[in-house]
Amino acid sequence: MQNSVRTLRIGAGLSQADLAKAMGVSRQTINSIENGRYLPSLPLAISLARHFGATVEEVFDVDA
Amino acid sequence: MSTRESPRTLTYWIVPLTAAAIGVAYLVAGLVGDDPGFGVTGLLVMLAAGAAFLVASRWSETARGLMERRDERINAIDQSATTFAGLCVIAAVLAMFVVEVARGNDGQPYAALGAVAGAAYVGSLVWLRFRR
Repeated sequence: MQNSVRTLRIGAGLSQADLAKAMGVSRQTINSIENGRYLPSLPLAISLARHFGATVEEVFDVDA
Repeated sequence: MSTRESPRTLTYWIVPLTAAAIGVAYLVAGLVGDDPGFGVTGLLVMLAAGAAFLVASRWSETARGLMERRDERINAIDQSATTFAGLCVIAAVLAMFVVEVARGNDGQPYAALGAVAGAAYVGSLVWLRFRR
């Protein structure tokens, strides 16, 4: 599953550490999500989407 | 590797406190069993292990995550690692049970340990089945 977390984060001018702090997770977790190594839980996926003002479907592409 | 600075929670201290408690248990066991060397060594080793976690948590996000329990990815990794370790122990217990029986013994204490593992698995399976 691909996602646009990295694109959205960079577009918002945030570092991985900034986003991690906002989400209450580690920087490594954000890095793993961006690289597709870790699928976040539904609550974290929703939090990420809300943080960028997007829907979960816009952030995470289940068909990719 | 940098880490976030956040207030220490009670959860953060569980690992070092548990290590210290186990060390004290070793010490008491050593003193009761007339082996103070084992007791003192065990206490020092466990205190060192707890201190190592505290020090590592200052620069390692993984160690910090294992202590704070707030990062879902670290928690998932810990759960998988714990499952793997448990399966290794169960496999070793079953292997030793077979070896002991083959030697003409009654298979103890491996039979009892295997029974505990089986009962714990079935019990947790039933419990989780009704909760999820």
